[in-house]
Amino acid sequence: MNYNLNIPPEDTGKKKSTLSSLKIMFSEMVEEKRTLLTAFIAMVITAAANLMGPIIIGYTIDNYIQTKEYKGVLIFSGILLGMYLISIAAGYVQSKLMGTVGQRMLFTFRNNLFKKLQELPVDFFNQNKAGDLISRINNDADRINQFFSQSLMQFVRLILIMIGAGIFLLSINLPLGAAALSPAIIIWAFTKFTTPWVKHRNAVNLKNVGFLSSEVQESLNNFKVVVAFNRRDYFRKRFDEANQNNYSSAVKAGVANNLFMPVYTLLSNIGEMVVLAFGIYLISTNHFTIGLLISFLAYINSFYNPLRQLAALWASFQIALAAWDRISRILNMENDMPYVEAKESETGASLMSFRDVSFAYPNGKEVLHHINFDLERGKTYAFVGPTGGGKTTTASLISRLYDPTKGTVLLNGRDIRSYSQDERTQKIGFILQEPFLFSGTIRENILYGNEAFQQYKNGELANILREAGLETLLQRFDNGLESKVDITGDGISLGQKQLIAFMRAVLRKPDLLILDEATANIDTVTEQLLEEILQKLPDTTTKVIIAHRLNTIASADEIYFVNTGEVVRAGSLNDAINMLKQGKMAS
Amino acid sequence: MIRITTGFLLFLCRDFSLKMTKKTKQVPEKKSQAKLFALLKPYRGMIILLVVFTLLGNGTNLVIPKIIAYGIDSYSHGHFILRTIITEFLIATFIIFVFSYLQSIVQTYASELVARDLRKKLSDKISRQSYAFIQKSNPSRLLTNLTSDMDSVKMFVAQAVSTIVSSLFIIIGTCVLLLTIDWKLALPVIMIIPLIGISFYIVLKKARVFFRRSREVIDWLNKVINESILGAAIIRVINSQTQEYRKFIAASSEARDIGISIVTLFATLMPIIQFVANLAILIILALGGHFVIKGSLTLGNFAAFNSYIAILIFPIIVIGFMSNVIARATASYERIDRVMKAPETSEEGSLEESLKGNIEMKNITVSYEGKPALKDVSFSIKAGSQTAIIGPTAAGKTQLLYLITGLIKPQEGTVWFDGINIEEYKKELFRNQIGFVFQDSVLFNLSLRENIAFNDNVTDESLNKALETAELMEFVNSLPDKLDTMISERGTSLSGGQKQRIMLARALALNPKILLLDDFTARVDRETERKILNNVIVNYPDLTLISVTQKIAPIKNYNQLILLMEGEVVATGKHKDLLESCPEYIQIYNSQLSTSHYELQS
Repeated sequence: MNYNLNIPPEDTGKKKSTLSSLKIMFSEMVEEKRTLLTAFIAMVITAAANLMGPIIIGYTIDNYIQTKEYKGVLIFSGILLGMYLISIAAGYVQSKLMGTVGQRMLFTFRNNLFKKLQELPVDFFNQNKAGDLISRINNDADRINQFFSQSLMQFVRLILIMIGAGIFLLSINLPLGAAALSPAIIIWAFTKFTTPWVKHRNAVNLKNVGFLSSEVQESLNNFKVVVAFNRRDYFRKRFDEANQNNYSSAVKAGVANNLFMPVYTLLSNIGEMVVLAFGIYLISTNHFTIGLLISFLAYINSFYNPLRQLAALWASFQIALAAWDRISRILNMENDMPYVEAKESETGASLMSFRDVSFAYPNGKEVLHHINFDLERGKTYAFVGPTGGGKTTTASLISRLYDPTKGTVLLNGRDIRSYSQDERTQKIGFILQEPFLFSGTIRENILYGNEAFQQYKNGELANILREAGLETLLQRFDNGLESKVDITGDGISLGQKQLIAFMRAVLRKPDLLILDEATANIDTVTEQLLEEILQKLPDTTTKVIIAHRLNTIASADEIYFVNTGEVVRAGSLNDAINMLKQGKMAS
Repeated sequence: MIRITTGFLLFLCRDFSLKMTKKTKQVPEKKSQAKLFALLKPYRGMIILLVVFTLLGNGTNLVIPKIIAYGIDSYSHGHFILRTIITEFLIATFIIFVFSYLQSIVQTYASELVARDLRKKLSDKISRQSYAFIQKSNPSRLLTNLTSDMDSVKMFVAQAVSTIVSSLFIIIGTCVLLLTIDWKLALPVIMIIPLIGISFYIVLKKARVFFRRSREVIDWLNKVINESILGAAIIRVINSQTQEYRKFIAASSEARDIGISIVTLFATLMPIIQFVANLAILIILALGGHFVIKGSLTLGNFAAFNSYIAILIFPIIVIGFMSNVIARATASYERIDRVMKAPETSEEGSLEESLKGNIEMKNITVSYEGKPALKDVSFSIKAGSQTAIIGPTAAGKTQLLYLITGLIKPQEGTVWFDGINIEEYKKELFRNQIGFVFQDSVLFNLSLRENIAFNDNVTDESLNKALETAELMEFVNSLPDKLDTMISERGTSLSGGQKQRIMLARALALNPKILLLDDFTARVDRETERKILNNVIVNYPDLTLISVTQKIAPIKNYNQLILLMEGEVVATGKHKDLLESCPEYIQIYNSQLSTSHYELQS
């Protein structure tokens, strides 16, 4: 499956996918129905209270100020004050509720995105650059966050005010109202035509922002190579290029984003002018009053000011939509490793069997051809062979990081795809070639993903570790279990990382444990210790060891020679060495 | 009617959380602010243009209510001329349009330009720094400097400058106009300015704490996300997705709660400001109405008051928030400036001598945060010899290689090359003579050719020789695009051994005098390893080889073995000598003995 986010999927209505994911998002709002309804009512009250202001003022002018009855002015001022007090209360309720709903929706959105990331298979992470992914999730999600927490509720509210003002305008005087609103039609048309262009420019810019940060990340993380090979200019050159691209796309996006405001202002001013000219004409023909004209002018502002604010929001809306497109690419990804209903299992089957398994990486050549083998309980297997022969790939299939392109992998005689993730991962342990630690303490790292041991105190844990023979390994860290782990730092050597990964896997007591060059950077004395620890695992534990060092495979019960996509059983260690010495077998 | 929107306010202050570290606090804020403004100096022309456009656009804006008032009054006095009013109105509107668009364009250009130039300056600076500096400053923090810190400086240029100018202008202009129309009515109306100011001050002070905490939570969220991406494989092997999700939910809930606190705070502020602004309208109606009845105020001016009040409120609020944009930009610029001002770790050696390959370490001590990684290490290596460094995990072997390349500097002691202090060599030339094969595979998102011929001085000839030596020819030829195949960032399509050999080829392509191998053989199978090491000896006969390794068999014939344990040299000598004198070495040897007969056979 194509998991590469920068390669567009075979296009069958990309717009639809954006829309459908937007729909999913809004469907979550439904849960907040009651809160939203209350907020909506509060919003209507606020808007109405505020909109009543100009009409009260206009009425006062016409009926009291112009007739010089100050008492009436005072009475209506009192009414106005009352309206404002209602509006302050309703305003508080509205902002508080809307803001809270917004935050809760964001919360759901963030969590869904993260959940999706967790659901996707390893392949997804291999096909995308870590820097790009991180930028997508941090930056783009942040932009959507901003829009949601700040602008979405505005949209609703501003539109409500506009509708209200529009109704007032039309009902005070229909012809004048219609004339006043006519520039809004031009605004609408203008917005409709320019929006795709603005959105496109923002999308290009976001892509460049992502590119810039992954460029920096790559260069800085590999700075030792940049220095050692005198390629500081490489860093500069790559950065300058990304920087320049970022600059020009940002300017382009900025110019586009800033177009709305002046245009909206222009047209709203014209609306005001129409009201003034037409209004005075109406007054002169006795169809209108001065007081009403003043309130009319106020309503015009109530109509066009929100529109101008919408202009400012519109740009951020376009940015959010562009970001949303990038994120929804992730949300629309489907895990291509489904759960499959189990056929009846073979009786008396081995722990692990490959049946005619072939495998090709996406867009790549086939790397394994028609592999068959069985792994029995309690035995130790060594997988040897030249680099690039397919050892790690085989191990990845055993632990179902990938599914075979052809053939079946059986665990206890049952299709491995019919196991739940939980069940499968408990049975199969895999110490990866490149160990990864999480920031935290050693304790957290060796208990990582190990629910059963989580609640133990350090003292109890020490006993468990002693029983497993892991105690001596722990002594290599200055503060034992509580030593700090910083994933970026140089404080922990590769060998130490491998030790932690080893402890982590052993404590889980899997039925099948794969060690993929898991001790490559550990000295041979310590390695002997690890060997002893492995001996302490239950007799039924099956071990698969991938290694280049002969001493680590000398104790294997069986040796498989893996090369050019074939897995061949070697009769003995000598046999395997001969195969290795011959180098690559004819393929 | 004045509508102030929570969202807009939040937008303005969203990033105002000050990531003030203890260090920044020591710098007086005034001084840092001055620095921030000094940043604009080279762009003086643009900034002046920006200010001029802003003033023209906004100034004209103030005329509109005047025109309306004039229209209404002239009508009530019976000498209304429609054409004049319309002409004036159209001209004003057009001027506003032109200048506000010009302003926004200049604003965009200026801010992006400032950001681009500053980014370039900073990246140039970083690119000149030493490896130790990058590690100490932490790559992800530098990334923040180059991205989000830049954004806040950009925001300052884009928004603060023009907004403050225009807001001040509008506030002062409006006040003056109001006062000239009718000072008795204007004075109580203007009173709302300090009232709004005070409520702002109080709320923002409270909000500051939340904003700072929300920054921290965002960092926390990002950390969880980043680790879940980088550790994707192990998470799937262990099936700890739920655990990761729980970690995320913890951070995410905290973010939500802080978000709600902020929203609540502003939900209180907004209606208050709105109410205060509305009070002004009420004053105009009650008091202004009184004046109109008395005859001291015209109806047109009464309307103008209403229009101006709408114009007045917004800039007051904006200025309140801009102070925070400035504060944030100041803090960001302070951090950028600190990187800019960091002394460039002296790499200023000037000696352009070519190396023979004699290396001497004298009393070297290296420590990290007080913990020694290497303690009083001394040894010497002869040109053209082969040396192996062995020892347990975390003994300091890699650090030793870093010292030899000058990637790090010792706290005590000196490294000598051919009797000359390493400091005196011109580093560029020096490093072109040393090939370093790192333990972890570092591949760039470039073609295979560029990854191997990573240094500019590499010729096609030396590239081919390196490929042959690293036994990569066959592999390269099997690729559809040969050397032009693109390598993905983490080299995921390559096996561990292939990556390792590419790293070796990269080092050899320099035609180095000295070759450093850091656990090179760990991921390469024995047969390939033997071939490769043979190739190295045949193709690069004068090479001084220093190899960090775990395996004794291939290094038995080396001129010198150095046994390192816990940062100290335990023993040096040939294999035979060590077997006789060094119990630790014997232990290591024995640990490999079980298979050594196979090694001997082959």
